Amino acid sequence: MKIKLEKLEVQTRKDQELVDITSEVERVVRESGVKNGVVNILTMHTSSGIIVTEGLPCLEMDVLNKLGELAPDQGNYYHNRYLDIDGRLGFNAGAHLRAMLSGYNAFFPVEDGKIVKGSRQRVYFAEFDGPLARTCCIQVIGE
Amino acid sequence: MIDFHTHPLLVREMIKKYPELAATARELFAIGNNFQPLETFHLQMEVAGISRAVLLPIDASRTKGRKIYSNEQIAELCRMSKRFIGFASVDPLKKSAARDLENAVKKLKLRGLKLSPGTQEFYPNDTKVFPVYEKAQELGIPILFHAGMSWEPGVKAKFGQPIHFEDVAAAFPKLNIVLAHFAWPWVMEAVMLALKYPNVNIDTSCLYFDNPVDFISFVMTRQVPLTVIERSLRKQIVFGSNYPRVEIKNMVKAVQSVGLSEGCLELVFKENARRLLGEVSR
Repeated sequence: MKIKLEKLEVQTRKDQELVDITSEVERVVRESGVKNGVVNILTMHTSSGIIVTEGLPCLEMDVLNKLGELAPDQGNYYHNRYLDIDGRLGFNAGAHLRAMLSGYNAFFPVEDGKIVKGSRQRVYFAEFDGPLARTCCIQVIGE
Repeated sequence: MIDFHTHPLLVREMIKKYPELAATARELFAIGNNFQPLETFHLQMEVAGISRAVLLPIDASRTKGRKIYSNEQIAELCRMSKRFIGFASVDPLKKSAARDLENAVKKLKLRGLKLSPGTQEFYPNDTKVFPVYEKAQELGIPILFHAGMSWEPGVKAKFGQPIHFEDVAAAFPKLNIVLAHFAWPWVMEAVMLALKYPNVNIDTSCLYFDNPVDFISFVMTRQVPLTVIERSLRKQIVFGSNYPRVEIKNMVKAVQSVGLSEGCLELVFKENARRLLGEVSR
């Protein structure tokens, strides 16, 4: 059994954006030497997510717009208060809620050293409160 | 647009080079966010539409045993980015304070002075610190004072009550002073000083509850009427975010949405800062 974990830093550049990390996931799988197994992709943050969808700019906009409608920045949130662990106010409940809606991870099988996924599927790191340097875990498990 | 109030506390490159700055950020400034590459600071400015940012240190060596960035470290950051405008900080009760300030301005090319009466535990109207004001006035640089409440652990608000700045404004009429954070909660008191003394300016970097949009609206439309800013203080309010306690984008959005005219916003976001920095005349 091989287990390889890579912590990938993703520098997001906008307030909200989807960053296509499919090629990075494929690279980690390739370099792991795992022929048959699984790959898990997780964000390490609570105001970002991992999304799988078709790689089209129009869809990327639709995803962000709809999530923004469902969980807007302005709202009657209890999170709008001082957080002593951060030394600052929260006020980004909308970003946290969008992250929950998007989900924090994705999973794919690995077969013959390659990710098993649909031809249209792309893996995105979803930024909901950027720009920030974020960390995403890619773990490959198998033989 | 210019952000007149930022602290470079999370810059990873500086933390790697000066590891003690990590503890300073966590313990003294009490900021818990992840350290970020310098690129993130630039991107935070970009998404907010900010072209230049003032970097503020605090010399807390007498009271806290360390500096929240030294003048040399601020100058080093400014050499890394033309988008940064570095301010100095000195201990105003130190005998060498005026000389230290002169060195920071003339040798390190820093362009203003940051003092934090609460962190540095002095009353701004204590005549023992007046030599520093005289030097700043002589050098033609502004002094940005922390005013009002502070989130820093152990720091008392009493040192930063606006009324303590009246003696300074009156004694040094050619010295531009900026009361940070709208001097919250003493907003009306700060406005009182700015109405009477044209050398008193106020920055917008305040967020103490709710969120930036709601809080700025509360301060600028309910604690004082917006008309006092639009009509009387349009040349004395300067935009500041207090990044990284708040993302710059959120404070920009809050101030832009409060209801000021386009002309007034131009002054608040750009021209007033340029005047304070000596780039344009009043």
